[in-house]
Amino acid sequence: MAAQTTRGSAPSAPSPGTGSPEALNAPLFHSLVDRLADGGRFVVLDLGAARTETVRLLIGHRCRLDIAELADSIDTLNAEESPRRLRELAEAALPPRRRESTDLIFCWDLINYLKRPALTAVMEAIAIRSRAGSLAHALVYYSARRMPQRPTTFVPVDEQRIADIGAPQPDRDAPRYSPEDLAICMPRYAVDRARLLKNGMQEFLFRL
Amino acid sequence: MFEMGKKGGPDKPVDLSMQRSDAPPARPEASAPRSGSSGGHAVIGASIHIDGDVRGEEDLLIEGEVNGTVQLKNNSLTIGPQGKVRADVYAHSVYVDGYLEGDLYGSERVHIRKSAQVRGNVTSPRVSLEDGAKFKGSIEMDPQAVQASGASRAAQKPAVASNGKPATPGAPKFDNPATPQGAVVKSAG
Repeated sequence: MAAQTTRGSAPSAPSPGTGSPEALNAPLFHSLVDRLADGGRFVVLDLGAARTETVRLLIGHRCRLDIAELADSIDTLNAEESPRRLRELAEAALPPRRRESTDLIFCWDLINYLKRPALTAVMEAIAIRSRAGSLAHALVYYSARRMPQRPTTFVPVDEQRIADIGAPQPDRDAPRYSPEDLAICMPRYAVDRARLLKNGMQEFLFRL
Repeated sequence: MFEMGKKGGPDKPVDLSMQRSDAPPARPEASAPRSGSSGGHAVIGASIHIDGDVRGEEDLLIEGEVNGTVQLKNNSLTIGPQGKVRADVYAHSVYVDGYLEGDLYGSERVHIRKSAQVRGNVTSPRVSLEDGAKFKGSIEMDPQAVQASGASRAAQKPAVASNGKPATPGAPKFDNPATPQGAVVKSAG
């Protein structure tokens, strides 16, 4: 299939350049963020880029936000064949480890762009620095067969909604990781809940 | 842009036009800055390379390269677009346009602009982050941790090595586990 210019692969997403992106209800994202209301201190790992919307969401909560900007490392990770070197690269792709364990992980759409060995290495590196019971939120192109060429920019609109604000770009086939695929690639993570979003993406909440 | 400590409404859009409203005093020409001092702020020019501990009592613009530590307890630091700083930084206010690798503590604010490339940890009661900035590291958003970090830094004595001389730059002291790692802060005396 020829590449098309699109914002995500969302059937209901607005056409590029037609205005502000559509906010998606993301109940599992809400349940993740709702954890912050407990009042305790949390360490949040965002695999995406530094975004004002994410930081604004966390204002007022007792948390530390770790930002990985993993998209910059995807090509390197996918190209590596040595498992040992891949583990090293995965660790290096994350922010330097600190003394506190990670509690909440925002994966956004990045899982879709990691080949299976790279996905395993990255999620294992995250698991090692996280405490038992940590939650990870991810968006997976499953029903949607196509996805943008590169990771797009998802941001929280509020505690219950997210939006793809990425620039239009060519698309490509999605790996369409199934829950079974993810269970194999991420053996330390159990699917806590999953929901189909109206843009065709599967919203996952994983528990370590 | 957001500012910790100035919570906006959840539906308030990001207003990029506001991002430079709190900019530090006008900088000298960024194209070919020269080292020196004028108008109450000093400039480390693009051709200057410093390895060591930079301390001072005036605002500072870095367009050159600094490796070590930067301490401007009561003044602002601007890392200009050409600036390359590999240092732990402690200042009243910190504005980053260029490259920074190290931990950042701003007792008043830290502002990371869209052209910035930062790898490190940020602690400040007010942190501004422009979309487009490249950032890998941590932002401390826990008011209690920020306050504790500020208090511990204010209480710290000058770092003294076992030989009685000031500790060498590049030997950061790590304090409260709940706070980010940072440069040793020397009392103003």
